[in-house]
Amino acid sequence: MTGLTLDLLCMQMLTGIALGSIYALLALGLCLIFGMLTVVNFAHGAFFMVGAFLGVFFLGLTGNFWFSLLLVPLITGVMGLFTERFLVRPMYGRGIDYPLLLTFGLSYVLIELTRIIFGIEGMPSITPAGLTGSVNVGFGYFPKYRLFLILATAVIILCIWLFIQKTRYGLIIKAGSRDQEILKVLGVDIAKVWLIVFAVGTAIAGLSGILASPTRSVNPEMGIPILAESFVVTVVGGMGSPVGAVVAGLLVGIVYSMTSLFAPELAELSIFVLMAVVLIIRPQGLFGKAGLMG
Amino acid sequence: MKPSPSTLANITNALARHRVLSVAIALMILPFVMPYEALAINILVFGLFAMGFNLLFGYMGMLSFGHGAFLGMGGYLTGISMVHFSLPWGVAILIGVLGAALGGLVMGFLAIRTRGIYFSMVTLALGQIIYYIFYKAESLTGGENGLRGVKVEAFSVFGFTVDFLNPVTKYYFIFLFVLAAIWFISRILNSPLGAVMEAIRENEKRAAACGFNVARTKLLVFILSAGICGLAGSLRALHLSIVPIDSLHYLQSGQAVMMSILGGMGTFFGPFIGAAVMLYLEDVITSFTTHWMLVVGLIFMFFVLFFPQGIWGSILHKLPLSKNSK
Amino acid sequence: MSLLPHTTILEARNLTMYFGKFRALNDVSASFTAGSLTAIIGPNGAGKSTFFNLLSGAFPPSGGEIIFNGDNITGQQQYEFPRLGISKSFQITNVFKKLSVHENVRVAAQMEVSRFNFLKNAQSYPDPIAVAEELLRRVNLEKLRDRKAGDLAHGQQRALEIAMALACNPSLLLLDEPTAGMSPEETLVMMDLIRTLATERTVILVEHKMKLIMGLCQRIIVLHHGEFLAEGSPEEIQSNAEVRRVYLGQS
Repeated sequence: MTGLTLDLLCMQMLTGIALGSIYALLALGLCLIFGMLTVVNFAHGAFFMVGAFLGVFFLGLTGNFWFSLLLVPLITGVMGLFTERFLVRPMYGRGIDYPLLLTFGLSYVLIELTRIIFGIEGMPSITPAGLTGSVNVGFGYFPKYRLFLILATAVIILCIWLFIQKTRYGLIIKAGSRDQEILKVLGVDIAKVWLIVFAVGTAIAGLSGILASPTRSVNPEMGIPILAESFVVTVVGGMGSPVGAVVAGLLVGIVYSMTSLFAPELAELSIFVLMAVVLIIRPQGLFGKAGLMG
Repeated sequence: MKPSPSTLANITNALARHRVLSVAIALMILPFVMPYEALAINILVFGLFAMGFNLLFGYMGMLSFGHGAFLGMGGYLTGISMVHFSLPWGVAILIGVLGAALGGLVMGFLAIRTRGIYFSMVTLALGQIIYYIFYKAESLTGGENGLRGVKVEAFSVFGFTVDFLNPVTKYYFIFLFVLAAIWFISRILNSPLGAVMEAIRENEKRAAACGFNVARTKLLVFILSAGICGLAGSLRALHLSIVPIDSLHYLQSGQAVMMSILGGMGTFFGPFIGAAVMLYLEDVITSFTTHWMLVVGLIFMFFVLFFPQGIWGSILHKLPLSKNSK
Repeated sequence: MSLLPHTTILEARNLTMYFGKFRALNDVSASFTAGSLTAIIGPNGAGKSTFFNLLSGAFPPSGGEIIFNGDNITGQQQYEFPRLGISKSFQITNVFKKLSVHENVRVAAQMEVSRFNFLKNAQSYPDPIAVAEELLRRVNLEKLRDRKAGDLAHGQQRALEIAMALACNPSLLLLDEPTAGMSPEETLVMMDLIRTLATERTVILVEHKMKLIMGLCQRIIVLHHGEFLAEGSPEEIQSNAEVRRVYLGQS
């Protein structure tokens, strides 16, 4: 295989990490919502898409990337607040499938609303000024934006980790949905916690969307495969494990990227095959606890 | 003059005791009730799809988001048999059904080690594997454009000429297969397996303590459900003469979910009613707006929130009924 | 079913159970004679439920073996136990709430019959139906046969559980606190039932209520902190100093 050098491999690896960073962030958002509410948000991909659209929109409007980066998760977070309060919470006690079904229906609504507001063609993605071009990373020239992506998601994940480990709220989240009764008895307003965690989850999804928008085409359907890919990461990492979400996210990104190098036709398939292998060998995922399923 | 609840209940009881016959009669007159035959055929095909799906979802309590893969497999395998291998439609249908059932065996085997919402996620992702495989195998499947040219030549049986170009003839041809499948489903539900299915859905641990191999039962029902959805796919291929790539996508699976909930999951008539209502509504609404996805999303959310038992389920709930009328 | 006297039907050898780092059961051994009625008692946290769950197949032990009629059945799955002839009832009533009383027992009785058969009509198998009717009569629930199991009174649900446990005609019956939550009248009825059952098959029960056990069982095993403490006849246990210390020291 001519042209296959160590440099090329490293470049592809770095691309994989950039892709994986998005996956890690997305899966983390899913994991938080699941860990606390035992709800799988089937609208996660749709919120990602909304984040991307809002990102491009505000960036085009204000020219200020940092402002957009702060505003977009705020908006999707507020959307999450309303979703939890009026759609998901009434489902509590009904059966675990219902919030899932509801958020699935919500994804349809979000996709079509986006088509109505922004048109069916989608929007051209904008790379923020200052982050365009490439930078020499030693083994080649790597897009500056993707480097930023890796660093930014690392910082965000670190912040989330610190939040969970070091704050009072974080402790409650760590205790998770398994000990709800105990938490209630201890005087914790569980309803408020759910509200906030769900909103944080959708905020993360929206944030992933705007962060990812310069690297892919922004159209109303972009969240559809993302949902499936988030599930792959979750299965590989282990349901309910934040560490698993991050590690598996990066792993999946790398697998995709490396497969694109050797067999581009099979890249999309490769990550699903990875998931199938994990299911056979270790159904609870790399970091999941057996018995946490269902 | 409104019929009293007890009259309605009596009617419903009678319908339930002869459920296959009731469905047969309703479906026989369907083409004359619907504005055009293609819609009626769609209702047949998707009604069967929803019923096959409902076997796993409504009766076993397992929410799969990968059943579109079986609809698609049935369609593609049937189509490929006819287009690339020139096999007769009878053999092609058989291949479609068995292929889908085999797919159900593989997917089921992998997915059954998980439960609850995890199961839903896993089946969605596994279904996407099948989607991508068929997408990439362009030479056989036509890739993004789908498989074209699935034609059934006119043939004679018992002196009757069955010409697929005649929509009414096509309808009744497909109707026969669908009716056979519905009868088969009814048999399953009435059999000892049906009782075990219900027990497992109610209380898995208890069922295991009674001596039932829960995992194997789940796998068996998964396979049966996949085969039935495969048949729906095969029939659809014959009807449309093409197999669209989207039939394998998880959004197609989502459609089965929506139809089941809309009509009433876990009931015999529910899925067909759900399919009929949804397809008819789609036909009406798409005639004056392109935003059908918004409408169906809202309707679905509305039902999940306020009428989770679906149309037929809510009707059953309101009437004083004898046990077994579903 | 005639049982030879003095045959060991069940043997637990060195059973140990860990839940993560917590050791719930430590090297417990016991033998059960065919046709006997044994009670397993101990203060809260003694490991009775864990021991019971191991014997009834809920999960495999971390260490040790279970021998049933001479065969090593350690690690066999839950659903295989009824086929071996071991049946159980749960501590928290665990019936099929949406099914009728009759259907509950019929499903349990179906185990012997083609459970994977999906072509024949369930009504065409007379045996499960007949067995179900007979069992309902035994526990005095035949009049409630069409009532939804979830609608029954607590005591009736527990009786239903016993009927279901009997459906596979087990030679060994494991009952986990069968009189839990019952009124005194219901408890007496259950005790009579258990006494009768003990004449036909081997019964092992986990119980809390001392008075019940003393009047009912031939043999008692006492567990404490996951370990074997004492065993013997009711009189022997009552006069056992260790047992008295453990129980009286509790309150």
